[in-house]
Amino acid sequence: MSLRGRKIKGALAPYALIAPTVVLVLVFIYGVVNGVLQGFGIMPFLGKTEFTLQYYLEAFGRADFTASLGFSLYISAVSSALAVVGGIVLSAALTRLSASRALQAVGISIPLMTAHTLVVLFVVSLFAGTGLVPRALYALGLIDGIGAFPSVVGDPSGWGIVLVYLWKEIPFVAFCTIAIMANVSDRYGEAALTLGASALRSFFSVTLPLCKGALVKAFLIVFAFSFGSYEVPFLLGPTLPKAIPVLAYLEFQNPDILNRSYAMAINGIMVLICTVLAIVYFIVLQRERRR
Amino acid sequence: MAISEARKGNDGADGAAASELPRAMTRRRFVAVASTAAATMLLGSALAGCSNASDGEAASGGDAAGEVDYANWDAVLEAAKGQTVSWYGWGGSEPRNTWITTVLAPALKEKYDVTLNLVGMDINDILTKLSGEMQAGVEAGSIDYIWINGENFYSTKENGYLWGPFTHYLPNFNDYIDSESNEVLYDFGSPVEGYEAPYGKAQMQMWVDSAKVKSTPKNPDEFLAFCQEHQGRVTYPEPGDFAGTAFISCLIAGVVGKDEFEKLSSMENPTTESVKAVIEPGLEYLRSLNPFLWKGGATFPADAATVDTMYADGELVMNMGYGAPEALVKNGTLPETTRSFIFETGTVGNSNFMAIAKNATNKAAALVAINEVISPEMQLSQYEELANISVLDMGKLSEADRAAFEDVPLGVTQLPIDELLDHRIVEAAGPVIPIIEQLWLDEVIGK
Amino acid sequence: MGGKRAAKLFVALHLVCVLVPLAVVAVWAFTSSWPWPELLPQTFSDRGIVELFVTSRDLGEVLAVSVGISLAVAALSTVVAAMAARALVSYRFFGKELFRFSTVLPFLIPATVFAMGVQVVFIHAGLANTVFGVVLAHTIVALPYAITIMSEVTAAAGEKLEQQARVSGAGPVRALFEVQIPLLLPGLLSAASLSYITSFSQYFLTLLVGGGTVKTFALVMFPYLASGDRTIASAYGVLFMAVTLGVFFLFELLLKRFASAKTEYFTD
Repeated sequence: MSLRGRKIKGALAPYALIAPTVVLVLVFIYGVVNGVLQGFGIMPFLGKTEFTLQYYLEAFGRADFTASLGFSLYISAVSSALAVVGGIVLSAALTRLSASRALQAVGISIPLMTAHTLVVLFVVSLFAGTGLVPRALYALGLIDGIGAFPSVVGDPSGWGIVLVYLWKEIPFVAFCTIAIMANVSDRYGEAALTLGASALRSFFSVTLPLCKGALVKAFLIVFAFSFGSYEVPFLLGPTLPKAIPVLAYLEFQNPDILNRSYAMAINGIMVLICTVLAIVYFIVLQRERRR
Repeated sequence: MAISEARKGNDGADGAAASELPRAMTRRRFVAVASTAAATMLLGSALAGCSNASDGEAASGGDAAGEVDYANWDAVLEAAKGQTVSWYGWGGSEPRNTWITTVLAPALKEKYDVTLNLVGMDINDILTKLSGEMQAGVEAGSIDYIWINGENFYSTKENGYLWGPFTHYLPNFNDYIDSESNEVLYDFGSPVEGYEAPYGKAQMQMWVDSAKVKSTPKNPDEFLAFCQEHQGRVTYPEPGDFAGTAFISCLIAGVVGKDEFEKLSSMENPTTESVKAVIEPGLEYLRSLNPFLWKGGATFPADAATVDTMYADGELVMNMGYGAPEALVKNGTLPETTRSFIFETGTVGNSNFMAIAKNATNKAAALVAINEVISPEMQLSQYEELANISVLDMGKLSEADRAAFEDVPLGVTQLPIDELLDHRIVEAAGPVIPIIEQLWLDEVIGK
Repeated sequence: MGGKRAAKLFVALHLVCVLVPLAVVAVWAFTSSWPWPELLPQTFSDRGIVELFVTSRDLGEVLAVSVGISLAVAALSTVVAAMAARALVSYRFFGKELFRFSTVLPFLIPATVFAMGVQVVFIHAGLANTVFGVVLAHTIVALPYAITIMSEVTAAAGEKLEQQARVSGAGPVRALFEVQIPLLLPGLLSAASLSYITSFSQYFLTLLVGGGTVKTFALVMFPYLASGDRTIASAYGVLFMAVTLGVFFLFELLLKRFASAKTEYFTD
């Protein structure tokens, strides 16, 4: 092969490599755009092609929309913040113990592979008004009887929802950081220790900064996920306010097809917020790579 | 996200890895890995191929459009032979699914060589799928017939997603069903017009554990007292869930009176104002209940399933649903001392139906299956196994069939059919239901 | 060294939090009633087992289809991701940053939004209700995870080894298979198992794209999880975990077998 031929081949190689991903991502974007357009009243299959902001205005104009948005943001912020903190501790603890692969499989992989609805089942059987935890408290004489324990189901504070996400996402955050931590503890950590830094100080001054990029990314993924999925808040959330994805889901399910536009408008608002998150994520990714 | 287990490798012994790897990965091992990967891909594409094949089969096995004379039952039976019919319906009831797969499906196979494929999922998800297919103009749809009623029927029929009228093709419909009764003519107030065949009758009932609760309320006033007595131990599913909507309907009807409430079942072009004018005293009553309900009426369980588990565990003292919880007592979920009751002011009831999708691939088999479901034999079996109230007109049955129905012993939780039907209130019309639900959200919860 | 005890305590606590709910659900699979205030179940039932192994006759088929789909997704997304990662790590090309950005989108935009929008598109394309369509949709959702993992691993492994191998006379194909792939193997398996998990637990997307025609285990299980029938729900839940774990350990086994212990990819 001539040198020039090889050069051209070299220039084309990356495009060949990314082609399948590009196709898949385009399908994804096409699907999302298609959905978002329905929110603007554009549904060619129903012969509707006129652009309108009506559904967005209606969505924003709903009496309960602001409360719902607030509730969703609050749940996501609390879940992702606690998940990151818990994940750091878990990851550090596992690293500290040089946990075996089997231990990691139980502590990290099992939660990763459990479906969210199944976790709802866990949480309900333990923390409902008559769950096992209140029963144990009752047996110990710590509570008076049924109703004395704040059931996870429908609680306005949403602590059941947060609990489900924590069960799933603390191990996820640990999954994202444990390799880095293990690596750091092998190299820098020991060096820092021999230089006289305490274990805790070296953790904060060496390990944590190195994990920063991974942690921010994990935070955003958890945030976006808990912000966008409807199953958990549907099953455990209070009647009012409903989480944003629950609103969208209920409207989407409405047998009247025109309500889809409305559902998609709510989705559009979610997409907007998620896109802002995506841009933040990307900036973090860029910074981390430059480092 | 730094999932990299390999960072370690990078920072670490590159040289060591380089010398180790080629040795570790012998040709034999490589072949093993590669063939595993290849097998995975093959399995994937084999599955894809297999699904395409079955699609094709379904298409060729389906009715060639317009060639079947549906009015000729023998022709329908002939066309249905060998077809696989997909029945979409709510999939969350294990006793019902078991009945369908162990009683109905074998009967269909044996008698008519029709294979029944039960697809159990939430009705909303089914409609999402149906409307998606209809929007896309799919001609050989994946849904043949659907377990449906109420506003879902109303909107799918309005949107032109249903095939029909078809009920006059069905021999058992013509022979055993009173086609002039309101329950067959109307579904939640909207005219059926032959687009769906009745499947079963349902009526709201409440139940308690008689070992723990001595007296049950007979009307809304007594129910209020009942809630006060068991403060924080009574609630209902959030309206929007069908059981929740039906239960508040019973209470509203008890407050405003049966005749007044039934105005809602034939209300045309309902508005928030017109509905509110009828149910206002009921809303007032519901507000007065709140302080004595679970969590002070500030929040309600999202669905009937949650209420079911709360009741089973003892967090609630009363539960409710369409039909008696006989199956739950039989399988040990609820104690033998469970007893049902209804209000003397009545409880709402409705029929549920089976409708055929406009783009159903196997219409002949769907007709055969629906006809079988409304046969005396299958209706009797449903009554025995599931405590389902039959849709057949007892006056049209043969002496022996009628006796068979009467001979079925009542379970401990079952109320006599006469008692139920005497206290039956017609549900509000499909378009009225969402208005009631919205009014509840705006004016009852937390107030 | 200090802190070890605290670490032990925390890990123990974490394991309790993970395992106790699993144990409770496992017990529920055989329980029919467990009322307040009992700490142990009161009546037992074989209903869950009967439902799984007797009544639902096609469960074996459903499981085979589900596992097949998820394996195909795992293989597809891992290969596609490995290619993309290679491009991102070793090449400069026009639009690279845009490409990098677009690969993280499915992470951050809810899968439900994608599912609701893509349903009609797939039907038009004839992909709806086919196994291939489901595999494609799942792959899209699983891909960002796989790409993230593969990018890290590929960057870490570098090209050095492959170049070395080629300089010493190996052809490009041989260099790829004998040097690069073994080096990436832990990452490949990690990406594959995460993709597998993502695919296996998809409900809403499977429903809209495969719509009941393609019956996966998640599709059969979810109505029961939402039904309030805890005996049956738990029985399905236990089987779900067993199958997922089974495949996970298969991946682990492959890793153990084919990766050299001395590559230090293990944190043993």
